[in-house]
Amino acid sequence: MTKLTATRLSETPGLNPRPSRKKPLLKKPLLKRIAKGGFVAALPFLAPALAAYVVFVIGPMFSAVRLSLYKWSGFTTDQQVFVGFQNYVRLFTKDPVFWTAVQNSIIWVLLSLVIPTSLGLMMALALNRPVFGRNVFRSVFYIPGVLAPIAIANMWRWMYNPNYGIFSDISKTLHLGDGSGVTFLSDPKVAIYAVFAAFVWQVAGLNMVLFLAGLQSVSKELVESAKLDGANAWQVFRNVTLPALRPTVVVVLVLTIVNSIKVFDLVVGMTGGGPAQKSQVLALWSYTQSFLNHDFGLGNATATVLLLITLVLVIPYMIWSTKGNED
Amino acid sequence: MSTLTIRRRTQRVDHTPRPRRNVDYIRVGLWIALAICMLVWAMPLIFVVLTSLKTENQIFSTSSFSLPSSAEWANYAKALATGNLLTAGGNSLLIAVIKVPIGLFISAAAAFALSRIKFKFSRGLLAAFALGSMVPIQVALGPLFRTILDLGLLNNPLGVILPYIGFGLPYQIFILYGFFTSVPKEIDESVRVDGGGNLRLFLQIILPLSKPALAALFILDFVSTWNEYAIALVILQNKASQTVPLAIQSFQSQFTSSYGPLNAFTLMSILPVVIIYLLFQRYFVQGMFTGAVKG
Repeated sequence: MTKLTATRLSETPGLNPRPSRKKPLLKKPLLKRIAKGGFVAALPFLAPALAAYVVFVIGPMFSAVRLSLYKWSGFTTDQQVFVGFQNYVRLFTKDPVFWTAVQNSIIWVLLSLVIPTSLGLMMALALNRPVFGRNVFRSVFYIPGVLAPIAIANMWRWMYNPNYGIFSDISKTLHLGDGSGVTFLSDPKVAIYAVFAAFVWQVAGLNMVLFLAGLQSVSKELVESAKLDGANAWQVFRNVTLPALRPTVVVVLVLTIVNSIKVFDLVVGMTGGGPAQKSQVLALWSYTQSFLNHDFGLGNATATVLLLITLVLVIPYMIWSTKGNED
Repeated sequence: MSTLTIRRRTQRVDHTPRPRRNVDYIRVGLWIALAICMLVWAMPLIFVVLTSLKTENQIFSTSSFSLPSSAEWANYAKALATGNLLTAGGNSLLIAVIKVPIGLFISAAAAFALSRIKFKFSRGLLAAFALGSMVPIQVALGPLFRTILDLGLLNNPLGVILPYIGFGLPYQIFILYGFFTSVPKEIDESVRVDGGGNLRLFLQIILPLSKPALAALFILDFVSTWNEYAIALVILQNKASQTVPLAIQSFQSQFTSSYGPLNAFTLMSILPVVIIYLLFQRYFVQGMFTGAVKG
């Protein structure tokens, strides 16, 4: 069926996406040069993706930047008033929660560059050899990564329950603290780290799988010959495994940064940013201002800051990886 | 190209018969340590399962790790009766079943154009798409809400399907681009010699050859569509249009202290994804492999 339709479509003159061959000319207008370059042929394949991407991703992002310069409640009936950089001034000088959110987002990125990544690497190293029950181990470590973050948030909220949760139970059995149970999520100093623990549980297995993939590119022969030369396990890891893993490490670190900046669901589900907004993060604060405080100006200014931070962190990687691909 | 090499290597490693040695005590020790780590890792899930099977009295009076004296299935019945799980599950399924194949097909077409048809700015375009996979969805949330409102698609499955397609593109295009470039270019020539155009090359050659990558992306995308929360939160505001993550969250805020049904609800909501994972395990790894190698 598909075969027939496909052939017939490509034979229909109007639908054949190949450009008609013309004599080469030296100087053509830009549009024609683009056409000659095959863009017309590519367009039918690109158009749906481009349309969806521009309307639902790029467009809204530019709108966010534009709206950050306006005062607006977000209601259709209200006017958008241009206020220049006033929203940013308000954000930077009169919004203490914004700085808490910035601080928490930075803490989050830094911690996640160290903890779930090294855990993932250790899991991968442990499971990169024939181990009894290896598949079960891998699955248990990886499964949290496929669960909805909002479900994970609920699971961990229950574990942190001050009266009946796991941690309270443990602290009571071990007679830690004053016996009133743990109150991680309602402690302004601890809340963000308590949420972060759930994040570690969620993403470490993902990193493990990436590292396991990377470990396949480590040359067995090189490891063997290093061992024959009398290198111990650490030396082999340091001098053979780690250099071969470098591209994987870069990918893991970039994904970690991207995922850390995006954190939203976990915080919504576990603390909602509280107590007293002490566990706010940028992504959630932007949402809160736009949709709960009905201040689209501040919300989109926060979103723009988030966008800029992401670009600053990600563009160096993009440049690095395109260079790498051209080799 | 690298993908292929790597898959071949994995297979070799997995099937190499190892020479038998005497019992290695260090290895046994390591294995036990690993098993303990695994137990700790499984703890949240075990705890949720245990709680979901206990009566209220047992939850309040027994230790977290004690087994329930008899399974309290009533929690599940209660969660189903009071929560919105079935409606939400239907909505999520509908959204995923429409979004995933369409999104994947659109991505594949774009990746095909970027990898097989030579035109100016194709690298720039690829970079523009790739960049999109890095930017947090929350940046666009406010204006996206406005766009959907203007289209009259609030509380409509289509109102999330369209943005999901948009936000799903970058990653899929990036991965498929990598996969398509690994298909030898000589194939293109032979199709063209036979008089076939791009459409034929795409539908009859490239797509069938890319089945493994497409299958892996299909599964990964299904799961992430099922799990998506932020966009759904903004667009789907009434109970009838809720997806599963929204239903979890509203059940949680409505029945804060009925711990048994609450955990039964969470458990039922993650069950489909866990089953999908167990059935299609290798696709998850494959999808990640392809992603990891191309970087």
